[in-house]
Amino acid sequence: MDRRQFLKATGAASATLGSAGLGFFGYQAGRDPESYTGWETHEGAQQTFNRKRHAKENPHYKKVGQTSRVDARTDVIFYRRGDLMRYWRDDTGIEGLPAHLRAYYKEHPDVLEQDLFQRKEIFPKMMEDSRKHRDQFILSSAWSNAMGAVSPDRINQPPEKSDFPQPSRFGGNTEPLNMKSPEKTSKLIKKIAHELGSTLVGIAELNPDWVYQYPMKGRGFEADEPLQIPEHWKYAVVVGTPMSWDPMYANPNYGTSNDAYSRSRIIAFRVASFIKQLGYPARPHTPGADYDLMVPPVAIDAGLGEQGRHGVLITPELGCNFRPAVITTDLPLVPDKPIEFGVQSFCKTCKICAENCPSGAISMGGKEVVRGYLRYQLDREKCHTFWSSNLGNMGCRICIAVCPYTRKSNWLHKAALKVSANDPTGLSHSALTELQKRFYPGPDPQKYYMPSLGGENASFRRPPWWLRSEDFIEF
Amino acid sequence: MQFFNSAFFWFMEGVLVCLAVIGFKVWMEDRKIPMPFWKWILLGMWALFFGFTIAFVGTNLGEKEPKAALLGGIIFGLLTVISGVGLWRVLKTGKK
Repeated sequence: MDRRQFLKATGAASATLGSAGLGFFGYQAGRDPESYTGWETHEGAQQTFNRKRHAKENPHYKKVGQTSRVDARTDVIFYRRGDLMRYWRDDTGIEGLPAHLRAYYKEHPDVLEQDLFQRKEIFPKMMEDSRKHRDQFILSSAWSNAMGAVSPDRINQPPEKSDFPQPSRFGGNTEPLNMKSPEKTSKLIKKIAHELGSTLVGIAELNPDWVYQYPMKGRGFEADEPLQIPEHWKYAVVVGTPMSWDPMYANPNYGTSNDAYSRSRIIAFRVASFIKQLGYPARPHTPGADYDLMVPPVAIDAGLGEQGRHGVLITPELGCNFRPAVITTDLPLVPDKPIEFGVQSFCKTCKICAENCPSGAISMGGKEVVRGYLRYQLDREKCHTFWSSNLGNMGCRICIAVCPYTRKSNWLHKAALKVSANDPTGLSHSALTELQKRFYPGPDPQKYYMPSLGGENASFRRPPWWLRSEDFIEF
Repeated sequence: MQFFNSAFFWFMEGVLVCLAVIGFKVWMEDRKIPMPFWKWILLGMWALFFGFTIAFVGTNLGEKEPKAALLGGIIFGLLTVISGVGLWRVLKTGKK
Protein backbone atom coordinates (compact mmCIF):
# COMPACT_ATOMS: atom_id res chain seq x y z
CA MET A 1 0.00 0.00 0.00
CA ASP A 2 1.48 3.35 -1.02
CA ARG A 3 1.24 6.53 1.05
CA ARG A 4 -1.80 7.91 -0.78
CA GLN A 5 -3.70 4.67 -0.44
CA PHE A 6 -2.83 4.58 3.25
CA LEU A 7 -4.16 8.14 3.74
CA LYS A 8 -7.40 7.29 1.94
CA ALA A 9 -7.92 4.11 3.94
CA THR A 10 -7.16 5.92 7.19
CA GLY A 11 -9.57 8.71 6.22
CA ALA A 12 -12.36 6.25 5.50
CA ALA A 13 -11.74 4.40 8.75
CA SER A 14 -11.65 7.69 10.68
CA ALA A 15 -14.92 8.84 9.14
CA THR A 16 -16.56 5.54 10.12
CA LEU A 17 -15.15 5.62 13.64
CA GLY A 18 -16.03 9.30 14.09
CA SER A 19 -19.62 8.66 12.98
CA ALA A 20 -19.97 5.73 15.32
CA GLY A 21 -18.51 7.89 18.08
CA LEU A 22 -21.22 10.49 17.49
CA GLY A 23 -23.87 7.80 17.80
CA PHE A 24 -22.40 6.64 21.11
CA PHE A 25 -22.07 10.25 22.25
CA GLY A 26 -25.79 10.73 21.54
CA TYR A 27 -26.73 7.54 23.35
CA GLN A 28 -24.67 8.60 26.33
CA ALA A 29 -26.17 12.10 26.26
CA GLY A 30 -29.65 10.60 26.31
CA ARG A 31 -29.12 8.32 29.28
CA ASP A 32 -26.43 10.18 31.23
CA PRO A 33 -27.41 10.81 34.86
CA GLU A 34 -26.11 14.34 34.35
CA SER A 35 -29.02 15.00 32.00
CA TYR A 36 -31.38 14.34 34.92
CA THR A 37 -30.56 17.81 36.08
CA GLY A 38 -31.80 19.04 39.42
CA TRP A 39 -30.04 18.57 42.68
CA GLU A 40 -26.86 16.67 41.86
CA THR A 41 -24.53 19.51 42.79
CA HIS A 42 -24.89 22.19 45.39
CA GLU A 43 -23.01 24.80 43.45
CA GLY A 44 -25.86 26.28 41.46
CA ALA A 45 -24.50 24.58 38.39
CA GLN A 46 -28.01 23.78 37.15
CA GLN A 47 -29.11 27.40 36.96
CA THR A 48 -27.48 27.64 33.57
CA PHE A 49 -29.78 29.91 31.57
CA ASN A 50 -28.51 33.37 30.74
CA ARG A 51 -31.32 35.28 32.43
CA LYS A 52 -29.74 38.71 32.00
CA ARG A 53 -30.05 38.38 28.24
CA HIS A 54 -33.81 37.74 28.53
CA ALA A 55 -34.56 40.09 31.43
CA LYS A 56 -37.52 42.47 31.18
CA GLU A 57 -38.57 45.41 33.32
CA ASN A 58 -42.07 43.97 33.78
CA PRO A 59 -43.41 40.43 33.96
CA HIS A 60 -45.22 38.96 30.94
CA TYR A 61 -48.65 38.90 32.61
CA LYS A 62 -50.65 42.07 32.20
CA LYS A 63 -52.59 43.98 34.83
CA VAL A 64 -55.83 44.95 33.12
CA GLY A 65 -58.20 46.06 35.83
CA GLN A 66 -59.08 46.08 39.46
CA THR A 67 -57.11 43.33 41.11
CA SER A 68 -58.20 41.16 43.99
CA ARG A 69 -56.53 38.58 46.16
CA VAL A 70 -57.22 34.87 46.45
CA ASP A 71 -59.49 33.61 49.18
CA ALA A 72 -57.63 30.43 50.14
CA ARG A 73 -60.72 28.98 51.76
CA THR A 74 -62.67 28.84 48.52
CA ASP A 75 -60.32 29.56 45.62
CA VAL A 76 -57.80 26.89 46.60
CA ILE A 77 -59.64 23.83 45.37
CA PHE A 78 -57.96 21.29 47.66
CA TYR A 79 -59.00 23.35 50.61
CA ARG A 80 -62.54 23.98 49.41
CA ARG A 81 -63.24 20.38 48.40
CA GLY A 82 -61.67 19.17 51.62
CA ASP A 83 -64.07 21.33 53.60
CA LEU A 84 -66.98 20.17 51.45
CA MET A 85 -66.07 16.56 52.23
CA ARG A 86 -65.90 17.43 55.91
CA TYR A 87 -69.08 19.43 56.30
CA TRP A 88 -71.51 18.25 53.60
CA ARG A 89 -74.61 16.40 54.73
CA ASP A 90 -77.28 15.41 52.24
CA ASP A 91 -80.06 16.33 54.65
CA THR A 92 -78.83 19.85 55.41
CA GLY A 93 -77.25 20.53 52.01
CA ILE A 94 -75.68 23.90 51.41
CA GLU A 95 -77.20 25.30 54.61
CA GLY A 96 -75.05 23.01 56.71
CA LEU A 97 -71.80 24.42 55.32
CA PRO A 98 -69.64 27.10 56.99
CA ALA A 99 -70.73 30.63 56.11
CA HIS A 100 -67.93 31.38 53.64
CA LEU A 101 -68.51 28.13 51.71
CA ARG A 102 -72.26 28.67 51.71
CA ALA A 103 -71.82 32.17 50.29
CA TYR A 104 -69.34 30.94 47.69
CA TYR A 105 -71.52 28.09 46.47
CA LYS A 106 -74.58 30.32 46.33
CA GLU A 107 -72.62 32.58 44.04
CA HIS A 108 -71.20 29.64 42.04
CA PRO A 109 -73.84 26.88 41.89
CA ASP A 110 -72.09 25.29 38.89
CA VAL A 111 -68.98 24.81 41.00
CA LEU A 112 -71.03 23.16 43.75
CA GLU A 113 -72.42 20.76 41.17
CA GLN A 114 -68.93 19.81 40.03
CA ASP A 115 -67.59 19.54 43.57
CA LEU A 116 -70.45 17.25 44.57
CA PHE A 117 -69.98 15.19 41.40
CA GLN A 118 -66.36 14.61 42.39
CA ARG A 119 -67.39 13.71 45.93
CA LYS A 120 -70.37 11.51 45.17
CA GLU A 121 -69.53 9.95 41.81
CA ILE A 122 -65.78 9.96 41.31
CA PHE A 123 -64.53 9.36 44.82
CA PRO A 124 -66.48 6.10 45.43
CA LYS A 125 -65.45 4.79 42.00
CA MET A 126 -61.85 5.63 42.74
CA MET A 127 -62.03 3.74 46.03
CA GLU A 128 -63.53 0.72 44.30
CA ASP A 129 -60.99 0.74 41.44
CA SER A 130 -58.23 1.30 43.91
CA ARG A 131 -59.05 -1.98 45.66
CA LYS A 132 -58.91 -3.82 42.33
CA HIS A 133 -55.84 -2.25 40.73
CA ARG A 134 -53.75 -0.82 43.52
CA ASP A 135 -51.16 -3.66 43.47
CA GLN A 136 -49.69 -2.19 40.31
CA PHE A 137 -48.78 1.01 42.16
CA ILE A 138 -47.50 -0.37 45.46
CA LEU A 139 -43.87 0.56 44.83
CA SER A 140 -44.63 4.01 43.46
CA SER A 141 -46.89 4.72 46.42
CA ALA A 142 -44.27 3.45 48.84
CA TRP A 143 -41.65 5.62 47.18
CA SER A 144 -43.91 8.67 47.16
CA ASN A 145 -44.83 8.21 50.81
CA ALA A 146 -41.18 7.68 51.73
CA MET A 147 -40.31 10.99 50.08
CA GLY A 148 -43.03 12.72 52.07
CA ALA A 149 -42.11 11.01 55.32
CA VAL A 150 -39.52 13.59 56.35
CA SER A 151 -40.82 17.09 56.78
CA PRO A 152 -40.23 20.06 59.05
CA ASP A 153 -43.03 20.86 61.48
CA ARG A 154 -45.80 23.04 60.09
CA ILE A 155 -45.68 26.71 60.95
CA ASN A 156 -48.82 27.23 62.96
CA GLN A 157 -48.08 30.57 64.53
CA PRO A 158 -48.82 34.03 63.19
CA PRO A 159 -45.98 35.92 61.48
CA GLU A 160 -45.32 38.22 64.43
CA LYS A 161 -44.41 35.13 66.47
CA SER A 162 -43.05 32.59 64.02
CA ASP A 163 -41.10 34.78 61.62
CA PHE A 164 -38.76 36.54 64.01
CA PRO A 165 -35.45 35.21 65.28
CA GLN A 166 -35.55 33.69 68.73
CA PRO A 167 -32.61 33.30 71.09
CA SER A 168 -31.23 29.83 70.61
CA ARG A 169 -28.59 27.65 72.19
CA PHE A 170 -27.29 27.19 68.64
CA GLY A 171 -26.41 30.86 68.42
CA GLY A 172 -27.86 33.28 65.90
CA ASN A 173 -28.80 36.90 66.32
CA THR A 174 -32.05 38.34 67.51
CA GLU A 175 -31.02 41.82 66.29
CA PRO A 176 -30.47 42.39 62.56
CA LEU A 177 -26.83 42.31 61.56
CA ASN A 178 -25.52 45.26 59.61
CA MET A 179 -25.19 43.76 56.13
CA LYS A 180 -22.68 45.48 53.86
CA SER A 181 -24.94 45.79 50.81
CA PRO A 182 -28.14 44.30 49.39
CA GLU A 183 -26.15 43.16 46.33
CA LYS A 184 -23.73 41.15 48.45
CA THR A 185 -26.54 39.79 50.62
CA SER A 186 -28.50 38.66 47.55
CA LYS A 187 -25.45 36.87 46.22
CA LEU A 188 -24.94 35.24 49.61
CA ILE A 189 -28.55 34.09 49.98
CA LYS A 190 -28.53 32.60 46.48
CA LYS A 191 -25.31 30.76 47.19
CA ILE A 192 -26.68 29.45 50.47
CA ALA A 193 -29.91 28.31 48.80
CA HIS A 194 -27.90 26.42 46.18
CA GLU A 195 -25.68 24.94 48.87
CA LEU A 196 -28.82 23.78 50.65
CA GLY A 197 -29.86 21.94 47.50
CA SER A 198 -32.02 24.38 45.58
CA THR A 199 -31.79 23.93 41.81
CA LEU A 200 -33.05 27.42 41.01
CA VAL A 201 -33.13 30.56 43.14
CA GLY A 202 -34.62 33.97 42.46
CA ILE A 203 -35.56 37.06 44.44
CA ALA A 204 -38.61 39.28 43.99
CA GLU A 205 -40.15 42.21 45.73
CA LEU A 206 -43.39 40.73 47.09
CA ASN A 207 -46.46 41.89 45.18
CA PRO A 208 -49.30 42.06 47.77
CA ASP A 209 -51.74 40.80 45.13
CA TRP A 210 -50.19 37.34 45.44
CA VAL A 211 -50.88 37.09 49.19
CA TYR A 212 -54.10 35.32 50.16
CA GLN A 213 -56.99 37.56 51.13
CA TYR A 214 -58.18 34.90 53.59
CA PRO A 215 -55.52 32.52 54.83
CA MET A 216 -55.33 28.76 54.93
CA LYS A 217 -56.18 27.10 58.19
CA GLY A 218 -53.36 26.04 60.46
CA ARG A 219 -51.01 28.88 59.58
CA GLY A 220 -51.54 30.77 62.81
CA PHE A 221 -53.96 33.37 61.51
CA GLU A 222 -57.39 34.10 62.93
CA ALA A 223 -59.95 31.91 61.17
CA ASP A 224 -62.18 33.81 58.74
CA GLU A 225 -60.32 37.07 59.33
CA PRO A 226 -58.69 38.80 56.35
CA LEU A 227 -54.95 38.28 56.22
CA GLN A 228 -53.14 41.51 57.06
CA ILE A 229 -49.88 41.46 55.14
CA PRO A 230 -47.04 41.95 57.62
CA GLU A 231 -44.65 44.78 56.86
CA HIS A 232 -41.68 42.46 56.99
CA TRP A 233 -42.94 40.44 54.00
CA LYS A 234 -41.05 42.78 51.72
CA TYR A 235 -39.01 40.36 49.64
CA ALA A 236 -39.61 36.84 48.47
CA VAL A 237 -36.79 34.37 47.94
CA VAL A 238 -37.97 31.59 45.64
CA VAL A 239 -36.24 28.21 45.82
CA GLY A 240 -37.13 24.82 44.40
CA THR A 241 -36.22 21.49 42.89
CA PRO A 242 -37.55 19.25 40.13
CA MET A 243 -39.43 15.99 40.54
CA SER A 244 -37.43 12.86 39.68
CA TRP A 245 -37.33 12.65 35.92
CA ASP A 246 -38.20 9.04 35.04
CA PRO A 247 -41.27 8.79 37.33
CA MET A 248 -42.34 12.24 36.17
CA TYR A 249 -42.44 10.97 32.58
CA ALA A 250 -44.56 8.06 33.83
CA ASN A 251 -47.31 10.36 35.07
CA PRO A 252 -50.09 10.36 36.07
CA ASN A 253 -49.85 7.12 38.01
CA TYR A 254 -46.19 6.55 38.79
CA GLY A 255 -44.98 10.11 39.32
CA THR A 256 -45.30 11.99 42.54
CA SER A 257 -44.98 15.56 43.69
CA ASN A 258 -43.78 14.43 47.10
CA ASP A 259 -40.12 14.12 46.18
CA ALA A 260 -39.69 17.71 45.03
CA TYR A 261 -42.20 18.96 47.60
CA SER A 262 -40.16 17.45 50.38
CA ARG A 263 -36.82 18.71 49.05
CA SER A 264 -38.12 22.22 48.38
CA ARG A 265 -39.83 22.39 51.75
CA ILE A 266 -36.71 21.40 53.62
CA ILE A 267 -34.61 23.87 51.63
CA ALA A 268 -37.07 26.71 52.32
CA PHE A 269 -37.05 26.00 56.05
CA ARG A 270 -33.26 25.96 56.03
CA VAL A 271 -33.00 29.22 54.09
CA ALA A 272 -35.48 30.80 56.51
CA SER A 273 -33.38 29.55 59.40
CA PHE A 274 -30.24 31.04 57.84
CA ILE A 275 -31.91 34.42 57.39
CA LYS A 276 -33.19 34.39 60.95
CA GLN A 277 -29.67 33.74 62.21
CA LEU A 278 -28.67 36.98 60.53
CA GLY A 279 -31.24 38.61 62.78
CA TYR A 280 -33.96 39.15 60.17
CA PRO A 281 -37.50 37.77 60.06
CA ALA A 282 -38.25 34.98 57.60
CA ARG A 283 -41.24 32.76 56.89
CA PRO A 284 -41.26 29.75 54.59
CA HIS A 285 -44.29 29.14 52.35
CA THR A 286 -43.98 25.57 51.26
CA PRO A 287 -45.62 22.63 49.54
CA GLY A 288 -47.88 20.71 49.99
CA ALA A 289 -50.29 23.09 51.76
CA ASP A 290 -48.44 25.55 53.93
CA TYR A 291 -48.73 28.77 52.01
CA ASP A 292 -49.91 32.28 52.72
CA LEU A 293 -49.47 33.24 49.07
CA MET A 294 -49.58 31.99 45.49
CA VAL A 295 -46.12 30.79 44.56
CA PRO A 296 -46.04 30.71 40.71
CA PRO A 297 -46.53 34.47 40.17
CA VAL A 298 -43.90 35.20 42.81
CA ALA A 299 -41.52 32.90 40.93
CA ILE A 300 -42.33 34.75 37.69
CA ASP A 301 -41.55 38.05 39.40
CA ALA A 302 -38.29 36.52 40.66
CA GLY A 303 -37.20 35.84 37.08
CA LEU A 304 -37.37 32.08 37.28
CA GLY A 305 -39.71 31.59 34.34
CA GLU A 306 -43.03 32.30 32.65
CA GLN A 307 -46.53 30.96 33.09
CA GLY A 308 -47.57 28.40 30.47
CA ARG A 309 -50.94 27.60 28.94
CA HIS A 310 -51.44 24.92 31.59
CA GLY A 311 -51.07 27.54 34.31
CA VAL A 312 -47.81 26.04 35.50
CA LEU A 313 -44.53 27.92 35.78
CA ILE A 314 -42.14 27.09 32.93
CA THR A 315 -38.46 27.55 33.70
CA PRO A 316 -35.73 27.46 31.04
CA GLU A 317 -33.69 24.81 32.84
CA LEU A 318 -36.37 22.41 34.05
CA GLY A 319 -39.43 23.28 32.00
CA CYS A 320 -42.40 22.85 34.29
CA ASN A 321 -40.73 20.07 36.26
CA PHE A 322 -40.15 22.44 39.15
CA ARG A 323 -41.72 22.63 42.59
CA PRO A 324 -41.01 25.99 44.19
CA ALA A 325 -41.24 27.32 47.72
CA VAL A 326 -40.97 30.89 48.97
CA ILE A 327 -39.36 32.59 51.92
CA THR A 328 -40.69 36.04 52.80
CA THR A 329 -38.35 38.41 54.62
CA ASP A 330 -37.25 42.00 54.99
CA LEU A 331 -33.56 41.18 54.78
CA PRO A 332 -32.40 43.89 52.34
CA LEU A 333 -32.06 42.22 48.93
CA VAL A 334 -31.91 43.17 45.26
CA PRO A 335 -34.85 41.73 43.33
CA ASP A 336 -34.16 39.88 40.08
CA LYS A 337 -35.86 40.93 36.89
CA PRO A 338 -38.60 38.86 35.26
CA ILE A 339 -37.58 37.02 32.10
CA GLU A 340 -39.18 36.26 28.76
CA PHE A 341 -37.76 33.43 26.72
CA GLY A 342 -40.48 32.80 24.17
CA VAL A 343 -42.98 30.86 26.26
CA GLN A 344 -45.93 33.16 25.54
CA SER A 345 -45.44 32.85 21.80
CA PHE A 346 -44.79 29.10 22.07
CA CYS A 347 -47.85 28.37 24.21
CA LYS A 348 -50.09 30.38 21.92
CA THR A 349 -49.74 27.79 19.15
CA CYS A 350 -48.40 24.66 20.86
CA LYS A 351 -51.43 23.44 22.85
CA ILE A 352 -49.89 19.99 23.39
CA CYS A 353 -50.81 20.15 27.08
CA ALA A 354 -54.43 21.00 26.24
CA GLU A 355 -54.65 18.20 23.67
CA ASN A 356 -53.20 15.66 26.09
CA CYS A 357 -55.17 16.73 29.15
CA PRO A 358 -57.70 13.94 29.78
CA SER A 359 -60.06 16.22 31.69
CA GLY A 360 -60.10 19.06 29.18
CA ALA A 361 -59.16 21.47 31.97
CA ILE A 362 -56.57 23.32 29.90
CA SER A 363 -57.99 25.95 27.62
CA MET A 364 -57.49 25.73 23.86
CA GLY A 365 -58.42 29.40 23.69
CA GLY A 366 -56.67 32.57 24.72
CA LYS A 367 -55.89 34.26 27.98
CA GLU A 368 -58.57 35.48 30.36
CA VAL A 369 -58.77 38.20 32.95
CA VAL A 370 -58.39 36.55 36.34
CA ARG A 371 -58.56 38.77 39.42
CA GLY A 372 -57.43 41.72 37.32
CA TYR A 373 -54.60 39.99 35.46
CA LEU A 374 -54.56 38.67 31.90
CA ARG A 375 -53.35 35.09 31.99
CA TYR A 376 -54.17 31.54 31.02
CA GLN A 377 -56.78 30.08 33.31
CA LEU A 378 -57.06 26.42 34.17
CA ASP A 379 -60.45 24.84 34.84
CA ARG A 380 -59.53 23.79 38.36
CA GLU A 381 -62.66 21.74 38.94
CA LYS A 382 -62.11 19.54 35.89
CA CYS A 383 -58.41 19.25 36.67
CA HIS A 384 -58.89 18.18 40.27
CA THR A 385 -61.76 15.85 39.46
CA PHE A 386 -59.47 13.91 37.14
CA TRP A 387 -56.37 13.94 39.27
CA SER A 388 -58.19 12.90 42.41
CA SER A 389 -59.38 9.81 40.52
CA ASN A 390 -55.91 8.51 39.75
CA LEU A 391 -55.01 5.25 41.39
CA GLY A 392 -51.29 5.88 41.61
CA ASN A 393 -49.92 8.66 43.74
CA MET A 394 -52.82 11.10 43.45
CA GLY A 395 -52.30 14.06 41.20
CA CYS A 396 -51.84 14.02 37.47
CA ARG A 397 -48.91 16.09 36.16
CA ILE A 398 -49.51 14.93 32.57
CA CYS A 399 -49.31 18.55 31.41
CA ILE A 400 -45.86 18.74 33.01
CA ALA A 401 -44.64 15.54 31.35
CA VAL A 402 -45.88 16.39 27.85
CA CYS A 403 -44.74 20.03 27.83
CA PRO A 404 -41.99 20.48 25.21
CA TYR A 405 -40.04 22.56 27.72
CA THR A 406 -39.90 19.69 30.23
CA ARG A 407 -37.00 17.84 28.71
CA LYS A 408 -33.79 16.54 30.16
CA SER A 409 -30.62 18.55 29.94
CA ASN A 410 -28.61 17.33 26.97
CA TRP A 411 -27.32 18.82 23.73
CA LEU A 412 -30.52 18.12 21.79
CA HIS A 413 -32.98 19.81 24.11
CA LYS A 414 -30.58 22.58 25.06
CA ALA A 415 -30.20 23.41 21.37
CA ALA A 416 -33.99 23.43 20.90
CA LEU A 417 -34.36 25.76 23.89
CA LYS A 418 -31.68 28.08 22.56
CA VAL A 419 -33.37 28.32 19.17
CA SER A 420 -36.80 28.80 20.69
CA ALA A 421 -35.69 31.39 23.27
CA ASN A 422 -33.93 33.54 20.68
CA ASP A 423 -36.52 33.40 17.90
CA PRO A 424 -38.56 36.61 17.81
CA THR A 425 -40.54 35.44 14.76
CA GLY A 426 -42.08 32.38 16.43
CA LEU A 427 -41.40 30.27 13.31
CA SER A 428 -39.22 27.83 15.21
CA HIS A 429 -41.96 27.47 17.82
CA SER A 430 -44.37 25.97 15.28
CA ALA A 431 -41.65 23.72 13.89
CA LEU A 432 -40.56 22.49 17.33
CA THR A 433 -44.18 21.90 18.33
CA GLU A 434 -44.73 19.80 15.23
CA LEU A 435 -41.58 17.78 15.93
CA GLN A 436 -42.68 17.27 19.52
CA LYS A 437 -46.10 16.02 18.42
CA ARG A 438 -44.71 13.63 15.82
CA PHE A 439 -41.68 12.34 17.69
CA TYR A 440 -42.88 12.19 21.29
CA PRO A 441 -46.60 11.37 21.26
CA GLY A 442 -48.42 10.07 24.32
CA PRO A 443 -51.33 7.65 24.59
CA ASP A 444 -54.92 8.62 23.81
CA PRO A 445 -55.82 10.91 26.75
CA GLN A 446 -58.91 8.83 27.57
CA LYS A 447 -56.64 5.89 28.39
CA TYR A 448 -55.28 7.79 31.38
CA TYR A 449 -58.59 7.32 33.18
CA MET A 450 -59.14 4.53 35.67
CA PRO A 451 -60.97 1.45 34.30
CA SER A 452 -64.36 2.25 35.82
CA LEU A 453 -64.31 5.53 33.90
CA GLY A 454 -63.42 3.77 30.65
CA GLY A 455 -59.64 4.12 30.84
CA GLU A 456 -56.66 1.83 31.22
CA ASN A 457 -54.61 3.47 34.00
CA ALA A 458 -52.19 4.50 31.23
CA SER A 459 -49.03 6.47 31.82
CA PHE A 460 -47.30 8.90 29.46
CA ARG A 461 -44.18 6.71 29.45
CA ARG A 462 -43.34 3.32 30.93
CA PRO A 463 -42.37 3.59 34.60
CA PRO A 464 -38.70 3.12 35.52
CA TRP A 465 -37.71 -0.42 36.47
CA TRP A 466 -37.60 0.38 40.17
CA LEU A 467 -41.28 1.33 40.29
CA ARG A 468 -42.67 -1.76 38.55
CA SER A 469 -44.29 -3.63 41.44
CA GLU A 470 -44.96 -6.74 39.36
CA ASP A 471 -41.22 -7.27 38.87
CA PHE A 472 -40.53 -7.37 42.60
CA ILE A 473 -43.64 -8.53 44.42
CA GLU A 474 -45.45 -11.85 44.14
CA PHE A 475 -49.17 -11.14 43.80
CA MET B 1 -18.85 11.91 33.35
CA GLN B 2 -18.53 9.05 30.89
CA PHE B 3 -16.07 8.59 28.02
CA PHE B 4 -18.48 9.77 25.32
CA ASN B 5 -19.11 13.00 27.23
CA SER B 6 -15.47 13.64 28.02
CA ALA B 7 -13.08 16.19 26.60
CA PHE B 8 -10.83 13.31 25.47
CA PHE B 9 -13.66 11.94 23.33
CA TRP B 10 -14.03 15.27 21.56
CA PHE B 11 -10.26 15.48 21.10
CA MET B 12 -10.38 12.04 19.47
CA GLU B 13 -13.30 13.13 17.32
CA GLY B 14 -11.23 16.11 16.18
CA VAL B 15 -8.32 13.85 15.27
CA LEU B 16 -10.63 11.50 13.34
CA VAL B 17 -12.22 14.42 11.46
CA CYS B 18 -8.76 15.70 10.47
CA LEU B 19 -7.75 12.26 9.21
CA ALA B 20 -11.05 11.90 7.34
CA VAL B 21 -10.58 15.31 5.70
CA ILE B 22 -7.01 14.45 4.63
CA GLY B 23 -8.17 11.10 3.25
CA PHE B 24 -11.03 12.74 1.38
CA LYS B 25 -8.71 15.40 -0.06
CA VAL B 26 -6.31 12.75 -1.37
CA TRP B 27 -9.20 10.72 -2.76
CA MET B 28 -10.60 13.74 -4.61
CA GLU B 29 -7.14 14.60 -5.97
CA ASP B 30 -6.76 11.06 -7.29
CA ARG B 31 -10.13 11.42 -9.01
CA LYS B 32 -8.96 14.79 -10.38
CA ILE B 33 -11.86 16.65 -8.83
CA PRO B 34 -10.98 20.19 -7.75
CA MET B 35 -12.07 21.22 -4.24
CA PRO B 36 -12.35 25.02 -3.93
CA PHE B 37 -13.29 26.49 -0.53
CA TRP B 38 -17.02 26.64 -1.23
CA LYS B 39 -17.13 22.91 -1.86
CA TRP B 40 -15.46 22.34 1.50
CA ILE B 41 -18.07 24.57 3.14
CA LEU B 42 -20.91 22.59 1.52
CA LEU B 43 -19.25 19.34 2.53
CA GLY B 44 -18.80 20.61 6.10
CA MET B 45 -22.48 21.55 6.33
CA TRP B 46 -23.51 18.15 5.04
CA ALA B 47 -21.17 16.43 7.50
CA LEU B 48 -22.68 18.43 10.35
CA PHE B 49 -26.18 17.37 9.32
CA PHE B 50 -25.03 13.77 8.98
CA GLY B 51 -23.50 13.95 12.47
CA PHE B 52 -26.69 15.53 13.82
CA THR B 53 -28.73 12.65 12.40
CA ILE B 54 -26.56 10.02 14.03
CA ALA B 55 -26.43 11.84 17.37
CA PHE B 56 -30.21 12.46 17.24
CA VAL B 57 -30.93 8.76 16.85
CA GLY B 58 -28.43 7.87 19.59
CA THR B 59 -29.78 10.48 22.00
CA ASN B 60 -33.37 9.37 21.60
CA LEU B 61 -32.42 5.73 22.05
CA GLY B 62 -30.59 6.78 25.23
CA GLU B 63 -33.70 8.63 26.38
CA LYS B 64 -35.81 5.53 25.73
CA GLU B 65 -37.74 7.27 22.98
CA PRO B 66 -37.57 4.60 20.24
CA LYS B 67 -40.32 6.20 18.17
CA ALA B 68 -38.45 9.48 17.99
CA ALA B 69 -35.24 7.61 17.16
CA LEU B 70 -36.91 5.65 14.37
CA LEU B 71 -38.83 8.57 12.90
CA GLY B 72 -35.83 10.88 13.21
CA GLY B 73 -33.59 8.22 11.69
CA ILE B 74 -35.92 7.77 8.72
CA ILE B 75 -36.66 11.45 8.10
CA PHE B 76 -33.22 12.91 8.78
CA GLY B 77 -31.54 9.83 7.29
CA LEU B 78 -33.46 10.22 4.05
CA LEU B 79 -32.65 13.92 3.98
CA THR B 80 -28.99 13.07 4.55
CA VAL B 81 -28.95 10.57 1.68
CA ILE B 82 -30.81 12.85 -0.73
CA SER B 83 -28.68 15.88 0.13
CA GLY B 84 -25.59 13.64 -0.04
CA VAL B 85 -26.44 12.57 -3.60
CA GLY B 86 -27.05 16.20 -4.55
CA LEU B 87 -23.83 17.24 -2.89
CA TRP B 88 -21.85 14.58 -4.72
CA ARG B 89 -23.15 15.86 -8.04
CA VAL B 90 -22.09 19.36 -7.09
CA LEU B 91 -18.68 18.20 -5.87
CA LYS B 92 -18.06 16.35 -9.13
CA THR B 93 -18.38 19.50 -11.19
CA GLY B 94 -15.13 20.68 -12.73
CA LYS B 95 -13.67 17.18 -12.97
CA LYS B 96 -10.61 17.27 -15.20
